[in-house]
Amino acid sequence: MQSAPLPETLANLVGLDPNSTPVMIVMSLVGAALIGTLMMTNTALAGPWAKRKITAAFTDRIAVDRIGPYGLFIIVADAVRLLSKELIVPDGVDRPAWDLAPLVIASSALLGFAVIPMGSGIHLADPEVGLAYVFATASIASVGLVMAGYASNNKYSFLGGLRAVAQNVAYEIPLILTGASVVIFAGSLQMSEIVAAQQQALIGPIPSWYAFVNPFAFVLFMIANLAEVGRNPFDIPEAPTEIVAGYQTEYSSVYFVLIYLGEFIHIFLGGAIIATIFLGGPAGPGPASLGIVWFLVKIWGVFLFTQWARSAVPRVRIDQLIEIGWKGMLVLSLANLLLTAVIVGVIA
Amino acid sequence: MSLEKPTPDTATEVGVTEDGLDYDALADLLGGHVLDREEHVNAEGFVIRPDEVQEVLSTLKNEAGFDHCACVTAQEYDDRYESIYHLRKFDDPTQELSVVVPTTKDDPHSESAARVYDTADWHEREAYDLVGIDYDDHPDLRRILLPETWQGHPLSQDYNQDQPQIVTLRENANPLEEDHRSEDDPDTMFVNIGPHHPATHGVLHVKTVLDGEQIADIEPDIGYLHRCEEQMCQQGTYRHQIMPYPDRWDYVSAGILNEWAYARAAEDLADIEVPEYAQVIRTMSAELCRIAAHMLALGTFALDVFGDFTAIFQYAFRDREVVQNILEDLTGQRLMFNYLRLGGVAWDLPEPREEFFEKTRDFLDDLPHKLEEYHDLITGNEIFQMRCVDTGVLSEEMVKQYGATGPVARGSGVDYDLRRDDPYGYYDELDWNVVTEEGGDNFSRVLVRMREVEESARIIEQCVDLLEQWPEDEREIQANVPRTLRPDPDEEIYRAVEGAKGELGIYIRSDGTDKPARFKIRSPCFSNLQTLPEMSQGEYVPDMVASLGSLDIVLGEVDR
Amino acid sequence: MIGILKSMATTMKHALDGETFTVEYPDVAPEVSPRFRGVHKWSQERCIWCRQCENVCPNNTIQIVMDDQRNGEQYNLHIGQCIYCRLCEEVCPTDAILLTQNFEFTADTKDEFAYDKEQLKNVPWYKDIDPLESREPDRGAWIGEGDGEVDYQ
Repeated sequence: MQSAPLPETLANLVGLDPNSTPVMIVMSLVGAALIGTLMMTNTALAGPWAKRKITAAFTDRIAVDRIGPYGLFIIVADAVRLLSKELIVPDGVDRPAWDLAPLVIASSALLGFAVIPMGSGIHLADPEVGLAYVFATASIASVGLVMAGYASNNKYSFLGGLRAVAQNVAYEIPLILTGASVVIFAGSLQMSEIVAAQQQALIGPIPSWYAFVNPFAFVLFMIANLAEVGRNPFDIPEAPTEIVAGYQTEYSSVYFVLIYLGEFIHIFLGGAIIATIFLGGPAGPGPASLGIVWFLVKIWGVFLFTQWARSAVPRVRIDQLIEIGWKGMLVLSLANLLLTAVIVGVIA
Repeated sequence: MSLEKPTPDTATEVGVTEDGLDYDALADLLGGHVLDREEHVNAEGFVIRPDEVQEVLSTLKNEAGFDHCACVTAQEYDDRYESIYHLRKFDDPTQELSVVVPTTKDDPHSESAARVYDTADWHEREAYDLVGIDYDDHPDLRRILLPETWQGHPLSQDYNQDQPQIVTLRENANPLEEDHRSEDDPDTMFVNIGPHHPATHGVLHVKTVLDGEQIADIEPDIGYLHRCEEQMCQQGTYRHQIMPYPDRWDYVSAGILNEWAYARAAEDLADIEVPEYAQVIRTMSAELCRIAAHMLALGTFALDVFGDFTAIFQYAFRDREVVQNILEDLTGQRLMFNYLRLGGVAWDLPEPREEFFEKTRDFLDDLPHKLEEYHDLITGNEIFQMRCVDTGVLSEEMVKQYGATGPVARGSGVDYDLRRDDPYGYYDELDWNVVTEEGGDNFSRVLVRMREVEESARIIEQCVDLLEQWPEDEREIQANVPRTLRPDPDEEIYRAVEGAKGELGIYIRSDGTDKPARFKIRSPCFSNLQTLPEMSQGEYVPDMVASLGSLDIVLGEVDR
Repeated sequence: MIGILKSMATTMKHALDGETFTVEYPDVAPEVSPRFRGVHKWSQERCIWCRQCENVCPNNTIQIVMDDQRNGEQYNLHIGQCIYCRLCEEVCPTDAILLTQNFEFTADTKDEFAYDKEQLKNVPWYKDIDPLESREPDRGAWIGEGDGEVDYQ
């Protein structure tokens, strides 16, 4: 399963020496661009089109079907529409912070994909602290949310920013603790190791994906992940019916696109983490070269789940959210961690 | 004035006899306060001095049991201003009394009733705003529907309609400009929720002071959708021109219920007998409207609690669509029905009748299954329960103080439904129940609406059975009503029906012409919205939004 | 937790059953009740210029101009202002004005919605539904009637 990281493969492909530093830098950038484009394509498909279609299916409607096959060209139309809109800069915004926030939100999520093994040899880097790195980069987004909320000079944005912080602090800890239980199983933070550890069969044809090994941790992680990416029932930083649009109230045009993009990339990053540490990464039937397909299927599955939850689960209130986070999720994830440690300790 | 709740035992209330109210006993109770007694169509009117309002009203409230101040009507005569307090009882709304307070023309001062009935607060502000009577001792006498800067009082006689209304730049200044931090409590934050906000169900402006996420102070600001509906009705003829407008008060598919409010008042005023067959059709179509309105209420409430345009909203709309199709077949329109006429209805059931009955029955047959689905989606959902149970609590006492009616009152355990308590139409011949819930929170208001849909379905089913068996030669849909209707001069009437949101009352005073001299709409949403501060003080913003949704206001009816 | 799962099961059931309730307008012309009240159609042959419709109209949508011999000259109707209450049709003694089922009309400016009598005569029938026939079967229908020789008075 262990394949060479993407830059090395690329260097070999064009016939350059993979041991020279300048070549590797260039190839790393090329690889990053490739992965970035891949994820952006997914986001473009998800944001203007798939989300509408999925929501429509849940609500007995048809949704976009006028432009192109299955309405797919709506993606182009939406892109043109959003980019051609006027960028309104409200009076009194805190300029550098207000401009940087959308960039931070969008890019922080993309950074995480650097260490995700997507199969078919698409794996930019494989540091030993892979999992910690993903969690770290994903959390940077909260900084962006606070910047957006605080710099917008709008009370709704401000409330949204505060909510985002409270929520992220409350759910990051259970998220990481639950992730840590996987690390105990795998004995490594390295993403490729975690994926490799899930290859053996558990019982019969069922592979030893950690979702099957420890379903409890899987459920906990899924819930914490919903809060982490800010989807129902934990979409309170946006909460359209309460605080208009939260931290993104004042953003329009390109900035809005960046924030919107960031949200979707975040969902996909959440899906990628779940796929990697719980669903065996790119593993699946068929030849190993199909890995990327299985990987994409898994992250789209997680995306579908967020949309499904959105259709049926009411939003919780901020105090309830904090209560669930600190009194429920934290305790449960600690218990899960201890239990895992004990079990692994006893078996090993 | 004592804070004790009047005992529900009506025997201790002055003036209650076996066959209705004994107005002489009530007059005796008030003694010298009663200057004169007027005969209104619905009740007697006691004329009292403008500086004895509080005394008289608190006596009536505490000793005669008039705990419901349904409406305050103000109007200007050639020689005087007049405020009429329409009092009735929550236990028996047929026991009515009008308290008439005349004031002089040159100095219209009258004592406020807001200290006795909390609901009078807004009603008197409206009277001040539109007619121009000053209420002494009013807690906060400001304009309510028109902008603060408005000159003149539009329903007064000397009002010049052509006069331009000038709002200076200074008065139009950005309210956000200044720092609204209050000096006593620097930790609070002022937020304008609305008039452009996803959750205010229209153009409602809620001035909110937040302490963190909790609401320290809240004040609904209305009037953005004021369309002079009362004045428009005063300019229309009884016979034809008023009827299209009630559809536009509560415009979310409660049209026939609204039309019925006008029809009932005008028919009682002009002494028109409605054929029974027409009454059955009215009852059926009104209940169809109620289902449509409650479906919308349910859908938008789910929207407020769930977040985005989620499944429940769409499902509720899909089911409402079925009702609207039935109503379209019957009335020709989906929202602005204009179906009722004085003395009957515009059309008989559409031919072929069997098809119509089948369509209606199909809808009724599907309904239980659909409601079950709603229960799965909404009331059974734990997070929904977490959000709605024990939030936005409105006590029974507050309901009565604020004159809240409809599902809001019934959700707080006030057993008040005009269809049963003050029967009209064909309701008293049918078998159905008034739904009440005890909780008084957002959850019980949702439950009341959902169960009322079931009851409405029962009523419709019985009506359909009746209509199906109605002999063909007795299908009289319209009584004989003169082409031009001129009720006797100086007749006054206040009549109410149970609209989708509560007691929808109409006050009409005739002056001998074919147009009303005063047309006053008692909107249930107007009174219900007054309870919002009561419900949401100290709650979180999301709960305030949910409470607002559970009140199910339609700004078209609040602002008129 | 069970309630949440039940909710999610309900929405998933809807997603999987593939039923939709969207009306694909304009590809599919929506079903319209025969009683539906749309744009007015007016017949000069039938109109006796009694001005009852003008009088009954609640918001002065109809404007009739006559010469001093009380001969009708103009019949204007502002369909953008109309509230579609059907009172004009109801009071008309000759069924000269009626509301068709036609709800599809557009204009670039408000002024274009002020229809004069020629425009009112040319309002198309919707799906060949004659409103009169469907509303009250005993009243004569005029769907087939052409605008032949105009007979003033």
